Amino acid sequence: MKPNLTRRRFLRSSSALIALPVLESLGFKAFAAPKLITPPKRMIFLGFGWGVTKETWFPDKTKTGATWDLPAGLKPLARHQKDITVVQNLANRFTNEAHWGSTFWLTGANRYGEPGQSFHNSVSADQIAAEAFGRDTRFTSLQLSCENGEESGHGPGLSLAWDRRGKPVAGFNNPVVAFHRLFSDDTTPLAQRQALLKQKRSVLDTVLDDAGSVARGLGKEDSDKLAEYLQSIRDIEVRLSKDEQWLDRPKPRPGNDVMEPKGEVAGYEEIKLMYALMAAAMQTDSTRVVTYRQPVSSLLKSLKIPFSPHNMSHYGPGPRMDASQLRDAKQSELLAGFIDRLKATKEPDGSTLFDHTTLAYGSNIQSIHYLDNCPTLITGGGSGVKLGQHLVMSDPKTPLCNLWLTLLRGNGLDVASHGDSTGLIKELVA
Amino acid sequence: MHHRWHRLLFLLTFIGTASRAADTPQARMDEKHRAFLRSYCTECHNANKQKGKVRLDDVSFALDTVQRADLWQRMLNQINSGEMPPEDAKQPDKLAKTDFLDTLSRTLVVARKSLGDVRGKITMRRLNRREYKNTIRDLLGVEMDVRDLPADGGAGTFDTVGASLFMSSDQFEQYLAIGRRALDESFAQAQVQTQKKRFEPETIVPGMKRALERMNDDHRRFTEWKAAGGKPEDLPKFGFRGDATAAGFSDSIWQGNHEWYERYLARPELQNGLLLENTMNETMQIAMDLPKDLPTGDYVFRVNVGLMPDMPTKRAFLSFLQASPLDKADTTFLASRHITAPLAKPQVIELPFSIVPDGPRKFIFMEKRSLYTHGFSLAGFTKTILKDPKDRDPVLWIDWVEWEGPLNKGGASSPVASLLPAANGAKDRNQARALIEKFATRAFRGNPPEPEFVYRLVKLFEARIKAGEKFDEAIKTPLSVVLAAPAFLYLQEPATDGKPRLLTDLELATRLSYFLWSAPPDDTLLGLARSGELKKPAVLAQQVDRMIASEKSSAFVSGFLHQWLTMERLDFFQFNTQNVADFETSVKAAARQEVYETFAHLLRSGDSLGRLLKSDFVVINGLLASYYGIEGVSGDAFRKVKVPAGSPRGGLLGMAAIHAMGSNGERSSPVERGAWVLRKLINEPPPPAPPNVPQLTRLEAKALTTRERLAAHQEEPQCAQCHRKIDPIGFGLENFDAAGQWRTGDSYWKRGVPGMREKKWDIDPSGAFFNGPTFKDYFELRDRIAARPEKFARGFTEALIEYALGRPYGFSDEPLAEWIVGQAKGSGYNVRTFVQALVASQHFKAK
Repeated sequence: MKPNLTRRRFLRSSSALIALPVLESLGFKAFAAPKLITPPKRMIFLGFGWGVTKETWFPDKTKTGATWDLPAGLKPLARHQKDITVVQNLANRFTNEAHWGSTFWLTGANRYGEPGQSFHNSVSADQIAAEAFGRDTRFTSLQLSCENGEESGHGPGLSLAWDRRGKPVAGFNNPVVAFHRLFSDDTTPLAQRQALLKQKRSVLDTVLDDAGSVARGLGKEDSDKLAEYLQSIRDIEVRLSKDEQWLDRPKPRPGNDVMEPKGEVAGYEEIKLMYALMAAAMQTDSTRVVTYRQPVSSLLKSLKIPFSPHNMSHYGPGPRMDASQLRDAKQSELLAGFIDRLKATKEPDGSTLFDHTTLAYGSNIQSIHYLDNCPTLITGGGSGVKLGQHLVMSDPKTPLCNLWLTLLRGNGLDVASHGDSTGLIKELVA
Repeated sequence: MHHRWHRLLFLLTFIGTASRAADTPQARMDEKHRAFLRSYCTECHNANKQKGKVRLDDVSFALDTVQRADLWQRMLNQINSGEMPPEDAKQPDKLAKTDFLDTLSRTLVVARKSLGDVRGKITMRRLNRREYKNTIRDLLGVEMDVRDLPADGGAGTFDTVGASLFMSSDQFEQYLAIGRRALDESFAQAQVQTQKKRFEPETIVPGMKRALERMNDDHRRFTEWKAAGGKPEDLPKFGFRGDATAAGFSDSIWQGNHEWYERYLARPELQNGLLLENTMNETMQIAMDLPKDLPTGDYVFRVNVGLMPDMPTKRAFLSFLQASPLDKADTTFLASRHITAPLAKPQVIELPFSIVPDGPRKFIFMEKRSLYTHGFSLAGFTKTILKDPKDRDPVLWIDWVEWEGPLNKGGASSPVASLLPAANGAKDRNQARALIEKFATRAFRGNPPEPEFVYRLVKLFEARIKAGEKFDEAIKTPLSVVLAAPAFLYLQEPATDGKPRLLTDLELATRLSYFLWSAPPDDTLLGLARSGELKKPAVLAQQVDRMIASEKSSAFVSGFLHQWLTMERLDFFQFNTQNVADFETSVKAAARQEVYETFAHLLRSGDSLGRLLKSDFVVINGLLASYYGIEGVSGDAFRKVKVPAGSPRGGLLGMAAIHAMGSNGERSSPVERGAWVLRKLINEPPPPAPPNVPQLTRLEAKALTTRERLAAHQEEPQCAQCHRKIDPIGFGLENFDAAGQWRTGDSYWKRGVPGMREKKWDIDPSGAFFNGPTFKDYFELRDRIAARPEKFARGFTEALIEYALGRPYGFSDEPLAEWIVGQAKGSGYNVRTFVQALVASQHFKAK
């Protein structure tokens, strides 16, 4: 299997998932974003590594349906209780890694699923959505992440997102970089930017040429490795084509309250700022799919909690449990602020961002080393699932992927199954 | 020598073949466990009554497929979580359950390893972050900050394992950008002049005097204003601009500050130098803010420094730090210097440092000291916390500080320097092509680029010329593309149809070089590869010796040890400076360095690996000697020092870093330490922490000894299966506190627990290995471990194979590991023999 040497043929021979039209020249406007009539669907996934305090984060299992009490860990969300649904008894059945809160959260993969490999993953739910929702936006999807993912209990990976081949998708680890990528305008004159794009293309052609000679005589595993390189070039191709489409359009301005971050923000303020950037990215329709692998380590530091996140996660009654509960409350407080923002942001037709967004918030780790009953909260009107509910699944090992499948379908995506899903969560759709 | 390596090669052909044919051992549960299943499982999970759609009466006892392993994994998880057998069903007795769980966990580890065995296949890999940085440095003579590149490794492997080194579009663009930046710097550095500047720190004294006068004047007017009634509207009359100023005033704060300044400024030593006095939160710092336009490159600081008389020797250390580029309070520790000269005859110390593109330019000098993070008032601090003048008064006197640089002239000292001058004045594209070809050949580690690739690069160059750029500028575009090309970023060893083959000489040079230097091959290696000499066993062995002797092998030592011994734990937490006050940044850095330096000493001097288990010498510097209470070691160089009689030091278990890793920054953790010893020193790793095992936390708020608290681990089979092996070893190391200092007693108290009183006890380190010998104390425990060097050697060898070959260690590597250990054993476990044997093996020379 010899990879094709020229970029164009290579693109054409790629799998259909990107479905990229090769845009030959500037001014090819047919692919510019169509005028929007109804606001688009959007999806957000927020993952927080080391789980929660199980005693105080989950609602009382005996009170389900629409009448349930907010537990202490979710109290700061009181004003949104009608709009959030907590689902209990969801889990990824193949996960056995007690310190990996995010690696398989959106994928449901079996680490050992591939013989001859000690690590394997599959595509994450957000990337399925991005394939459909990302065609018309400047950014196909946006991955936000944090420094030192392992310390924050996320496990291997670069963000919550994993591509079709089960490879990690990189994310922006800090709000400053994310801000500039999303909103900083390039002040270079148009002609110069066009020339730059052309040069970038020549650069890609050149390295692909070298890739061609490297590819000669490679065995399967090595070809797979090189394919990652080729994929990254292809991703840039996609981006360049999009840049070309968007070349004469300035980047949108975020709302007035989203300022360019000055200096370093960490922990609580960092998450708050990332949330603001996410809302702004959605509002300006820069992207429609966002994942955020939230920091836990820096959050604790900013809350003056003296324990390492892992140490805290092994809480027992006493200061470590207090710290764990404070973390829960602060995260809920941040989420409540984010929901406020989504509700306050108007779409052109008078509805709000919240009405068209699906937001999932949780972790693959419940608490300590428990991987069952993954903490799961959903909100937003995008997928049409029932909100204001407390659901306890009767099967204590209901696949978490059933939820992802339900949400993807709710967003109008024709997906047959996802990960280890066995069906939809009917109680949510009803 | 010659003769020995020839014989080795002969042997190798044999094991090479044997190992390729060797069967991977099968993971299998012993038939005797069928009785356990019959008694507790198959009543519900049989052919007729497949409860939960699970049938176990026909379960395969061979875990030889992913599906079979997954079924056993589910059984393990169910029993671990206490869900099975159900509460109302017959329960196994504790010991039977513990043994069953123990066997099953271990069998599953074997099954996963066996099913995941790559069977010797080495996946092509890209340079990892460390290697990329070193490669750019060797190529262009420029140090680059690469921390923004994604971190490597993960999933429990080394950062050299190809299968877990990924690539993304962002990363590709980063490579392009970093490569371009490095070229810019390299070209620029070749032309700069070395500068030198000296700072006399006493020049700040007049400013401090003025500050004191202002403070006193403010206070005088504040007192007058108060005497006049203290009305806010009167403030302007007394020279205050608003009530904010007045509100911020307090007599006690003024008192503290005033006293401090008066005392300090009265010191005669300030005539021609500066004393690093203590203030509330830390010692006084001298921060050198270097000009923004100073070129990047290698520099040196020189500090003329002396000691105040009759001060404690443990305080005679100067710390050198770098401020964070974002100018927040964070600093990065760079180095520590042991000061031995008296103030009357100060000494000049040198601190080399680099200015990297977009990196920090602010550098700090201060006394080595723990930072007290709690808010004491200044007066309170000097009066109560540091009562003793010997703790409080300044110890370091700085005469002057100077910097000089850039010293290296960057590009000028790099291998490509010889090409670059050609750029000056060169005009036409033939010269550009020649330059590009030479550069790419070097960047591709001796492999010439394909003509088509060069053709395109020249086109890029021409496009830049056409855009109006000069030769020097235009040439950088194609060169930076070379630095993002696959042939540069990937270590390629193409193997047609995946069939094993011998490496070419150039490939061998590259593999060897990235193994021992984490950097590309130098001219000597490339030369030997080109002449076909390198593959000769004697030449290869000689090169290994040369490479180990080189300073560049430090990259192997730190890169390998950091990952092998899981030393990232040292950075997991902020050490609580109230509990372990002396374990501050510079001691922590020296403690980490001790692990590396000890290993490097064994490797370079050809000493035994067994010294890591027990040794009558340590490899330390003045700072660590002071921390360990070992006399007569002065200066910053690490060197071999005899362990005093009765000292617990010597070997990994005597090192502060190892014990600090086995803590949570505050208290020692017998579980972490015991598991680490099992994993690293005895090579009997416990299975990974299982999910869903009920955690016992009910004892957290009780005043109990550590042993009493952890006794709960033995109650439940789910816990006991591993903790019966882990905990006793950890208890045997309890004489070391959270920062590796020796202690004989411990105490427990928890803040925020009502009615709790501090519990104190004497440490009892005695115990026994599970199903093994007893030990009465730490020394005997260490002896028992040191008595089995072959187990340690085996674990070390497996890690070395994985690191060097860049693929997970698998069962199919067992003959190789056995052979290497056998070779090493014959040499008394000489560390260098392990490396030599691995390099000499067929596996190292084949793909």
